[in-house]
Amino acid sequence: MNDSIVAWSECLEKIASKGDREAFRLLFNKFSPLIKSFAIRLSSGTKSENLAEELVQETMLKVWQKAGSFNSEKANASTWIFTIARNTRIDLLRKKARHQNNRIANDHSEEGFDVEDIWVEDENEDVFNQMAKQRSIKSLHETLQELPEEQSFILKKVYLEDKSHSEIAQELDLPLGTVKSRVRLALNKLRLTVDRF
Amino acid sequence: MLKYHPDTRFLTDYAAGSLPESQALCVAAHLHYCHSCRKHISELMELGAELFMTQAPDSVNADSFDKLMEKLDAPQPEAQPGTLHTNQVQSTPVEHEALPRAIRKITGGDIEKLGWRNLGKTFRYSTIQTGDSQRESSLLEIKAGGEIPKHHHGGDEITVVLKGSFSDQEDRYHVGDYIVRTSGETHTPVASQDEDCLCLATLDAPIVMNNWFYRLVTPFLNKPTSSG
Ligand SMILES: [Zn+2]
Repeated sequence: MNDSIVAWSECLEKIASKGDREAFRLLFNKFSPLIKSFAIRLSSGTKSENLAEELVQETMLKVWQKAGSFNSEKANASTWIFTIARNTRIDLLRKKARHQNNRIANDHSEEGFDVEDIWVEDENEDVFNQMAKQRSIKSLHETLQELPEEQSFILKKVYLEDKSHSEIAQELDLPLGTVKSRVRLALNKLRLTVDRF
Repeated sequence: MLKYHPDTRFLTDYAAGSLPESQALCVAAHLHYCHSCRKHISELMELGAELFMTQAPDSVNADSFDKLMEKLDAPQPEAQPGTLHTNQVQSTPVEHEALPRAIRKITGGDIEKLGWRNLGKTFRYSTIQTGDSQRESSLLEIKAGGEIPKHHHGGDEITVVLKGSFSDQEDRYHVGDYIVRTSGETHTPVASQDEDCLCLATLDAPIVMNNWFYRLVTPFLNKPTSSG
């Protein structure tokens, strides 16, 4: 686990410093099947093969372009790539929705936020010690395996299926409060809560 | 000072990217002011990455990598590694820098440039277009000591204070506070005496009329009978 975190960081650094395509191919082989799996579901709930491939292309292109802004002291490579995949997914869905709404759109309807205006990537974040970071990731990895099924099931829906709490509540026919409390219980177990909550 | 934060539901949906844009705008505004929630978001992103990495991989098209290589070889500046920088938001006076990035973008340095609608002498608002057709976002400004007419909430409302402070029957709210009001609550926000109060608000409501005032005073009369 730790070895690969370092290896993916090095790939990104090689891409940034010398446009290393072999390093990029290694990243692509590892991450593109994950991005495709993460992918995009249409509002009908079905998975779209074309959109999924588009998401892979767009995300990996940005990984190549943005490699220079990756800082291994601030982020893990996997978190950094996940963030780009998430933002690219939001962007593709927005474009798609805009396209569908075209017929009712009027000229002054676009203020034009970029995804990054709202999903701002690490605005003056703390610099974490790399070792401490890897330790916490390891325990996160282990604790995730120990979560009760109903909690990890909901966490996966939240993160991987692009469904909000309300959409999940609807789909599973549960009260919104139940979905919220399962997520909160899971975060408690993972020790990912802020004291004030 | 900062006391009201988005709950776990808003923060995880924001981190996962599924929160509607208009509400995400409010969370982003809060994050701009709240170090503790920013730190929490970065932890939630690590959790997301962990789940992301443990997914069952789904094979990509055989030509996917080659297609990408063609894009990199295309003679466009975007193909250079490390050259993409997120859009620069216009550089502006210090006071303006204090506003969240998305708000800086629409105001372009001067809130007077926005199209404002006055409602009485002490309150005005300016609508913000987002990609969310279910909710309406606006900037609200209450003059020092002024108030928003007493109103009822037909749907949920999120308010984030961007400048100054305001009070209602329950508490006083300061810059960065993220306040959620649910359907059916009645309140009368009053700005503090010494400073104008600027807020960002996202309201769950069908956009029926351009005149927000009518919805404020008679929210139930203006529901659409059908969508067209
Ligand atoms: Zn906060």
